[in-house]
Amino acid sequence: MDRGQDKWSCIKSIVQIGKIRLFKVISFFNMYQKVALAIAFSPRMEALISETKRLVELFESELILIHIGKKTDELEAKLEEILIKTGLDQIKTKLIWKEGKPVKMINEACKEENADLLVAGALKREGFLTYYMGSVGRKIIRKAPCSVLTLIEPKVGSTVFEKIVLNGTQLEITPHVIKVGIDFSKKINAEQVHILNEIKMYGLQMGTASEDSEEEASQTRRQLVQHELTYVEDILKNVDLGKLRPNIKVTGGRWAVELARFCEKIDADLLVVGDDHKLNFFDRIFPHDLEDLLSTLPCNLLIVKN
Amino acid sequence: METLDHKEVINLLLQLASILILARVFAELARKFKQPAVVGEIFAGIILGPTILGNFFPGAHEYLFGAHEMTNIAFDGFVQISVVLLLFIAGLEVELHIVWSQGKKALYIAVASMVLPIIAGFVVAYAFPEFLGVNINDRIVASTFFGLAISITGLAIVARILMDLNLFKTSSGLLIIAGAMIVDVLGWLIFSVILSLSESGSEGLGVWPTIGLTLLFTLVMLTVGKGLINKVLPWINKKLAWPGGLLSLSLALCFLAASFTEFIGIHAIFGAFIIGVALGDSEYLTEKAKEILHQFINNIFAPIFFVSIGLKVNFISGFDPGIVGVVIVVGLLTKYYGAYFGGRLAGIPRKESIVAGIGMSTRGSMDIVLGLIALENGLVTEPLFIGLVILAIIASMSAGPLIGWARNLKV
Repeated sequence: MDRGQDKWSCIKSIVQIGKIRLFKVISFFNMYQKVALAIAFSPRMEALISETKRLVELFESELILIHIGKKTDELEAKLEEILIKTGLDQIKTKLIWKEGKPVKMINEACKEENADLLVAGALKREGFLTYYMGSVGRKIIRKAPCSVLTLIEPKVGSTVFEKIVLNGTQLEITPHVIKVGIDFSKKINAEQVHILNEIKMYGLQMGTASEDSEEEASQTRRQLVQHELTYVEDILKNVDLGKLRPNIKVTGGRWAVELARFCEKIDADLLVVGDDHKLNFFDRIFPHDLEDLLSTLPCNLLIVKN
Repeated sequence: METLDHKEVINLLLQLASILILARVFAELARKFKQPAVVGEIFAGIILGPTILGNFFPGAHEYLFGAHEMTNIAFDGFVQISVVLLLFIAGLEVELHIVWSQGKKALYIAVASMVLPIIAGFVVAYAFPEFLGVNINDRIVASTFFGLAISITGLAIVARILMDLNLFKTSSGLLIIAGAMIVDVLGWLIFSVILSLSESGSEGLGVWPTIGLTLLFTLVMLTVGKGLINKVLPWINKKLAWPGGLLSLSLALCFLAASFTEFIGIHAIFGAFIIGVALGDSEYLTEKAKEILHQFINNIFAPIFFVSIGLKVNFISGFDPGIVGVVIVVGLLTKYYGAYFGGRLAGIPRKESIVAGIGMSTRGSMDIVLGLIALENGLVTEPLFIGLVILAIIASMSAGPLIGWARNLKV
């Protein structure tokens, strides 16, 4: 009997280990194993938790809730109430309370917990002074150690990401951005995926091409467009598209500005861009690249970091 | 208001027609040999001016460019406007977001590629002012001006070369472009300060007020000015005729800024340059509009300016092989090594630094404008100016083949 029991518990242990390993393997292939959410008992908190819950379930991730501020019984009870209301799996949810400067502490918590994705709310547009001084929402985006999903209008019923725009501009991080963007789009069953690519300094290039004949200038124009299309197509060759049929669009100008305009034009639900360096105050004085987007968020924004 | 008489009008129109026709012919010839149009335009000026036409057909030259004083004054107005517009387009070419995205590497290359030629140029000119032909009475300013003139990179020329070599979008290409943009901005900032130090240009406010005003004007234009442009441009694009409204108002803005800087004691071209930077950096100035402005200025006003150089200077009587040799050697070597060492300091691999060094050595636009201002202000003599023009021609003609060669180097 004892031997039988031992055998049984041994089998159970093996199965348990197998389960754990399988979970680890699945987690390894998951895009986001740990998703962090910065909460601030604001009116949008419930909506943000609800949105994050959906993502956590989709990506089968663990959730880390970070609150910066004093832990009181009242706040704890309030949070508990919201967690129950939103139906979060409390076993896969970890609560972190920290005191100190919000941006610094949130980033610290993300680093400590090895979060892959930080979800945060941010206003679509900020006041002149707030923008230059840097609000908590924007500072998190600028300084986060991991990828950031910024939701401008979180809903309790969860936002549907139907139209997704990916940044296809020639940057070092772009192949990674496109891959992540496509995987994300597949996971959330997006209907339309657009990849927007920009011809750098189109005006200068075509201006200098005006030294050529009309035919040569047209040829240069075609080549510039074709070069961008080929760049994106080559990246897509190495990405599993599933049922997605991305639409590649080429434009000229500053990529961030063009992306914002395009998102507003098609009423996009999510914009996916890459970021490989931290932005500072100087970047706000002379906005460029990502900072162009942060001045006015055109839609929800996923910033992919390496 | 005094006006040109019948003969003077005919003379002015003939001047403009002959300049544009010959500039086009030689620009096309340059194109056939895969050379920048500016090289052909300078040659057109040499042929139309005292060097060839004045020497071999003095009657024709006198009829075209010497018979009517009023016509020449009117023509000089065209040249002044051409210089202002050239600087405006040079400003439009500077895209600050490209500069920021290239970051410190571009800054290292740009600054080093300026510091070495400025120091070397200053030392050589200061040590041998009579030999080189810099104004001995204004020795410090004239020597610095010479150093600055050999430190400029021809942004539009190098952009074209990089496009032809299919390097424009590569990391090396963007680095050179961003570096050349920084050189342009720094070059014109230094220029306006030096000019205020000059004895001959001392009508202004003095050194410190000029430095303060220059920096203030730059900062205000690139922040508040750009903000205003961002507010007005969408309205212009939407409500006014396109591209007519944009073209006329942007040129009006350029002339306003140029007259303002001239009024406060900084040279007019500085205002044109900075407003070009502010306008070009605006997200509402479409790439199509930039293309049109480029075509309009590069094909009409740029030829007038570059041909006018040959009209002002006799390239045979003023030619001094010693001066030309020194200008070429000092100009090419210091610019190349400055950019090369800047690249190495920034951690750029050797081969890429060599390419950057050659690319940054390309000249043929703003350096000539600078040289001409120095000549007109009596800071340099004709032989030294000729040396600067020849340096620009050699540098812009050799950059393409040299970059092609450097790319295949096994280092």
